[in-house]
Amino acid sequence: MNEDIRKLEDLVPQARAGDMGAFEALYQRYQAGIYTFLRGQVREAELAADLTQQTFVRAWESLPGLRDPGAFQSWLHRIALNLVRDEAKSGRARLEVVATDLADEGSGAPPREAVARNPGPEELALSSELRDRVWQALGSVPAEQRAALVMHHMTGMSVTEIARAMKVRPGTVMSRLARGREALRKLLGSYVEAQNGSM
Amino acid sequence: MARCDRVRTTLADFVEGSLRGRASARVEAHVRDCADCRAEVAALERTGELLRETGAIPAPSRLWGSIQAEIAGTGSATAIRSLRVLWRGAVAAAALAAALIAVWMVRPPEAPMAVPTVQQVQIDAEFQSTFEGHLSAIWVTPLADEAALGLQMAALGEDG
Repeated sequence: MNEDIRKLEDLVPQARAGDMGAFEALYQRYQAGIYTFLRGQVREAELAADLTQQTFVRAWESLPGLRDPGAFQSWLHRIALNLVRDEAKSGRARLEVVATDLADEGSGAPPREAVARNPGPEELALSSELRDRVWQALGSVPAEQRAALVMHHMTGMSVTEIARAMKVRPGTVMSRLARGREALRKLLGSYVEAQNGSM
Repeated sequence: MARCDRVRTTLADFVEGSLRGRASARVEAHVRDCADCRAEVAALERTGELLRETGAIPAPSRLWGSIQAEIAGTGSATAIRSLRVLWRGAVAAAALAAALIAVWMVRPPEAPMAVPTVQQVQIDAEFQSTFEGHLSAIWVTPLADEAALGLQMAALGEDG
């Protein structure tokens, strides 16, 4: 059995029994994934933080209803997704991403001006400008495709886990990932084009 | 060789791994021989890599404290959870009681006791008298049992 899964299977029942330490361990493991997913869905950083908090508070309250500890991550994303939908209905959330300082949230670096040129992919691999460009491009991808892309590529969820979270078939997730990747590739243009195509 | 414009629409699915069997083999064969489509596959793969390199953004560090405060602020969450369990149990018990009362109230009326006919009363009185006589006879003379039975059978034979 995978070590991470074994620990998860221990942590979830402990948290369900009221162990705040176990719940904090779960929080530390999944907070970045949930916050990133929410930043991909709503525009304001403050709202994303607020929704992240609500997600974990609701998870704490609803833990007795979670039967399969191995499904915790999908279940958590499902809660976050429902909160985003509630926010959208209330009109508070603008379901689009317009990257401003997103790249700097992760790196801790100060905001920078937009790039004036298109350096090569190698040069840009770890730059905050490129991260900012990726987030800007993500903001133009349809929400469901964006959600799948963020969950799969940025937080490492499997297609099956995403399917559980979004309550769709795995084939639908695959399709959203493909269409999202296609759209993002066009938006990123020369940032992802190599000098010489090779497989 | 398949035409580029037809293959291009499936390249993202190919990269995603959602093409199977012959469809996947056809795209793979085309990409091997077509530099433009090969470059497109590389760009699509690079797109995924960029997303992974961009990575997840940590939530603000203050957030865990806020979550703890909110959970604590709602009272003891564990106690609330226990109360919820108790409340659910009480609701279930009340529902069961209501269901039992409803079943009792709508049950069909019991069938009235059969009223014996005059003939039945008469026969029962005769039987009672014979039985009592027979009981006293076998008490005094156990061997009288068969004799009494014979008399009774004879009396019934006369009635019939």
